[in-house]
Amino acid sequence: MRKVLTVAWREFRDTAMTKAFILGAIVMPVVTIGLFIMVIPLLDSEDEPLTGTIAIQAPSDVSDEIETLMNEAAHPLQEKLDELPDFVTNDPIAQNMLPQATETNLTYERIPLDTEFDRKGIADEGFIAFVSIPDALLSQDGGNNELEIVVQNNLTVDHTDFLTRNTETAIVNTRLKRLGHQPDEMRKLLKRPNAVAMRIQEDGNIETDNEIARTILPIAFMMLLWTAAFTSGNYLLTTTIEEKSNKVIEVLLSAISPMQLLGGKIIGQAGVSAVILCMYGSAAIIGLLTFAMFDVVSITQLILFVIYFIMGYFMIATMMVAVGSAVSELTDAQSLMGPMMILLMIPFFLWPIITDHPHGTVATVTSYIPPLTPFIMIIRTSTATEPIAIGELILTIGVGYLAVIAMVWMSARIFRIGILMQGKPPNLWQLLLWVKRG
Amino acid sequence: MNEVIEVNNVSKTYGETKAVSDLDLSIPSGVLCGFLGPNGAGKSTTIRMMMSIIHPDQGNIQVLGTSALEAKDNIGYLPEERGVYRKMRVGTFIQYIANLKGIRGHQLKRDIDSWLDRVELPGVKKKKCEELSKGMQQKVQFIASIIHNPELIILDEPFSGLDPLNTQTIGSIIHELHQEGKTIIFSTHVLQQAEEICDRIVMIDKGHKVIDDDINRVHEAHNPNLIQVEPIDLSADFTSLPDVESQTLTKDGDAIHLKLRADADPVKLIQSIATSAPIKGIEIVKPTLTEIFINKVAETEGHDAANATREQLTHA
Repeated sequence: MRKVLTVAWREFRDTAMTKAFILGAIVMPVVTIGLFIMVIPLLDSEDEPLTGTIAIQAPSDVSDEIETLMNEAAHPLQEKLDELPDFVTNDPIAQNMLPQATETNLTYERIPLDTEFDRKGIADEGFIAFVSIPDALLSQDGGNNELEIVVQNNLTVDHTDFLTRNTETAIVNTRLKRLGHQPDEMRKLLKRPNAVAMRIQEDGNIETDNEIARTILPIAFMMLLWTAAFTSGNYLLTTTIEEKSNKVIEVLLSAISPMQLLGGKIIGQAGVSAVILCMYGSAAIIGLLTFAMFDVVSITQLILFVIYFIMGYFMIATMMVAVGSAVSELTDAQSLMGPMMILLMIPFFLWPIITDHPHGTVATVTSYIPPLTPFIMIIRTSTATEPIAIGELILTIGVGYLAVIAMVWMSARIFRIGILMQGKPPNLWQLLLWVKRG
Repeated sequence: MNEVIEVNNVSKTYGETKAVSDLDLSIPSGVLCGFLGPNGAGKSTTIRMMMSIIHPDQGNIQVLGTSALEAKDNIGYLPEERGVYRKMRVGTFIQYIANLKGIRGHQLKRDIDSWLDRVELPGVKKKKCEELSKGMQQKVQFIASIIHNPELIILDEPFSGLDPLNTQTIGSIIHELHQEGKTIIFSTHVLQQAEEICDRIVMIDKGHKVIDDDINRVHEAHNPNLIQVEPIDLSADFTSLPDVESQTLTKDGDAIHLKLRADADPVKLIQSIATSAPIKGIEIVKPTLTEIFINKVAETEGHDAANATREQLTHA
């Protein structure tokens, strides 16, 4: 066992304790998240206050409405943002992300309706924009519904958006007023209520149905499994090929058996996978804590995730190491990796079906097909409102780990033959023959 | 004398090619045994089977009284195909292999320094293996194969790719290890190297054992019973001497070969030759291992095969 651990430690050290790994798998994501957090406040403070004179050629009631809205109205998106849950709007990071009301320092010049205005010369006249609203646009049917706004070339996108949206709102408000309605009251009447679905739990309690959690959790868990298992699986593939191409493999086999080497490599890369999992997992936990959503993940889900993660890692690792031992060049591995990748992409294709119907036929059947089992079960356990039956969990775990044992056995037989083979790489059929011969 | 390696009726086939065929072999403890044969003779395959890296199709192999898998910590092995972790530092690489052989601790670090000095590689411990030349990497690998002070050392073509100076360095270390009582088996297709340092040889050809004996006995068994004389006058006639059966000019034409009678005493004959004619030099002809090997091939496979083998060995 000591020799296995020696190999495992070397595998871990030479993978996870290298500049490339620290930079690629730890520093880069951390820096990216850091930059993202830093850039958010900067985005908000990007625009200067909207300053200048706007020329308005429109009936007086709509002109008044425009001036009022431009000077007092909140950001046009604010209404939508107000509908977001409190945990989003109260969060300090989220608050920085939410657009704030645009600062303005505007004056207005009203152009008589019967005057021919030179649109191209707004800059020469000292205007930042020209708004033309024909009376027909304010009628009940809205005329041809075309609104003309000409702005200076240097007006920012945000400011242009601010101007057009407020003008549009002003027109709607004017229409309502002309019909004798109060726009604010009408808006309140039209605002849809927020329905909160309550779900009766197994223990009889009624709890709020967390749609966000049900949507985000499955993909988050599956991406965690995918990222952590495939990153280390990929390292397993490349280090095995490197040992073969460097011819160091025979030196190793003079000291240890192929099984000890295989075991050490898989355990070592499991450590790498655990580091990646901890790193991204910690980031996810920090995210959940930040948005006060930590309660959306139950302990049971975490335990099941770990069980299926280990299963998934071993399945991917055994396949990767088998392919790595069979070829001498990374390019040769592509032909063998192709079918494997297609197989492992199936959970992604099935993801929408399984999240909609976690107890459906597709979800249930694919749960018992290794190596899909861990991926499908991670989606199901994190998405199902009605818990997966204990018997089904035990059965899928049993099937999955039996498959792991079978895959370790098969990859060991391929490894034993392939590791000393040079020359033309085998095809899938030959690999199966190696399993028989090994 | 205990047998360190016992190979019984071992065969190994790769596809259509029979690499080793019904091989029986016994290597006694404490010998420096040359495992000889031309390229493709089956040497490396046999050695890999001895190391349990590959398994024979039939027969069994015992190393140090057990299987090589069980005895790996007591065997030092330098494979024919050299390999190091390119990005790993020299000291770390040797330490890693030693760890796999069950050796740890501070003494190991001192041993690594000492061995690096001994093979004239001081100051490379912290260098990455990829920074070393091929010859230097080979010496590092040689250290890795013996750092754990094994009882049995198997070296597959240890001198291949080394310059004469490094060949001498490694050769003298092999000799010292032998003096310390280690059993050493080294394979080579350069038979002259084996002739210089081995006390026992095993020759194989096309997977079959051709010779397996003490080197002196091999020489005796293949004694051509010839004395080479360099007379001042090449027309001198020695056939009148009682123990001389016949006389021929050598291929180069600058000396004479005297074929002795079976019961002749070469020492007495040399004295008689020296008094019978003025001579520049005289010596008893000993066949080289190359000649012995070629003769053996000729005996078993005919002259065409022998000529092909001669060609292969000459160009090795």
